[in-house]
Amino acid sequence: MNTQRPYIFLLKITLFSLILSALPFNEVMLDISPFWMLLLFTYWLVYFPVKGSLFVALILGVLLDILQGDLLGQNALALILAGLFINNVKQSFHVSNLSTQQVYVFFSSCIYLVFFLLTHVLVHGTSNNYYLLLAPFTSALFWPIVRFSLAKCRHQ
Amino acid sequence: MNFFKTFIPVIIAIFLILFDYKLSYLNSLRQGVATLISPVYMLVSLPEKLYTWINEQGTGKDQLLSDNQNLNSQLLKLKAQLQQTEQLALENTKLKSLLNSSHTLQQAKFSLARVEHVRRSRLKKQLIINKGSDDQLRIGQVVLGAQGVVGQITELTPMSASILMASDPTQYIPVKSARNGIQAISQGLAENKYHMRLNFVEPELDIKINDLFLSSSLGGKFPDGYPVGRVIHVEKHKNESFLHVILAPIQQTSDLEFVIILEKS
Repeated sequence: MNTQRPYIFLLKITLFSLILSALPFNEVMLDISPFWMLLLFTYWLVYFPVKGSLFVALILGVLLDILQGDLLGQNALALILAGLFINNVKQSFHVSNLSTQQVYVFFSSCIYLVFFLLTHVLVHGTSNNYYLLLAPFTSALFWPIVRFSLAKCRHQ
Repeated sequence: MNFFKTFIPVIIAIFLILFDYKLSYLNSLRQGVATLISPVYMLVSLPEKLYTWINEQGTGKDQLLSDNQNLNSQLLKLKAQLQQTEQLALENTKLKSLLNSSHTLQQAKFSLARVEHVRRSRLKKQLIINKGSDDQLRIGQVVLGAQGVVGQITELTPMSASILMASDPTQYIPVKSARNGIQAISQGLAENKYHMRLNFVEPELDIKINDLFLSSSLGGKFPDGYPVGRVIHVEKHKNESFLHVILAPIQQTSDLEFVIILEKS
């Protein structure tokens, strides 16, 4: 079994999460869809211990900002802070069962959502998009699929 | 050391937000990276393109297709020109009172583009069209649909351009009423991405539900006389110096297939 190098794997999951983030869903589906970049980054962060992971989060976030036409740094800040949370619980995350991991993913998604919305509110004003609040739940729900798929790719 | 490793990316992200919001220094970085990752959108829209292509092959009548496309583009151009009749009516009223006015409508030049993709973030919506800097498009060009103003080009790659919608909270359009010429600035609403508000409308001004607002050339950014939005709500708030006016955009984007790009004069 061949385990891939961290940065080659990162390159692959970056491309994959950019494609997932650009998929043309309808508006409600898009609002409730999981934070793909965060899910894939979480996997990389937990299973590929490397230094400077928050700088990687910054770059991935900026790529997502540009891809989606958001304010530069909006997704980046949210991803860094969510990544910081995952970094702090990494040891526990690694040895936890799937449902506990889902709880961690839910909390990191909440952090992501809070900072993503906070930037939007501070810059543009409030938003009445309540479907967005479901995104942390769907992120947690999709975590097992992401984990098993990436585990397969990783050992290919 | 750990503190710096943690907080430097956070500080960089905050600086990026501030710089991107207030200044335009990062536009070239944005353009460069957008060009680099533009294949992602091509890849994502591939199934749709394939479907369209198969559909077109199914007809087997190339001539018919090209005729149809030509007619569609002609129709769109004509519809856009028709939008100026509202402006002409207003001009007529003005001319009656100002006999010596030399103001005339300029005939704008158009180019046609197909909407490739709707780029959606969770809080923002932009259109991607199939023409870019290789087709001599420039940032700031105004984009029209058959019914009215769609928005403005804000990002260019060699083969595509993204359009910031008129209903985006960062888009400000100088407008005037088609009924009585009242001037204001329209801005997208952050809390409702389908509506716009009118800024700086004094309480004593005559604004009614269903009033049509057209683009105004005030500031030189937008052309004169293209429909922007219709008033759906007017309210006077106590202790506020301006009226609270909400517009619904005239141009719906859900069924938009082709757009017209006005050439900058």
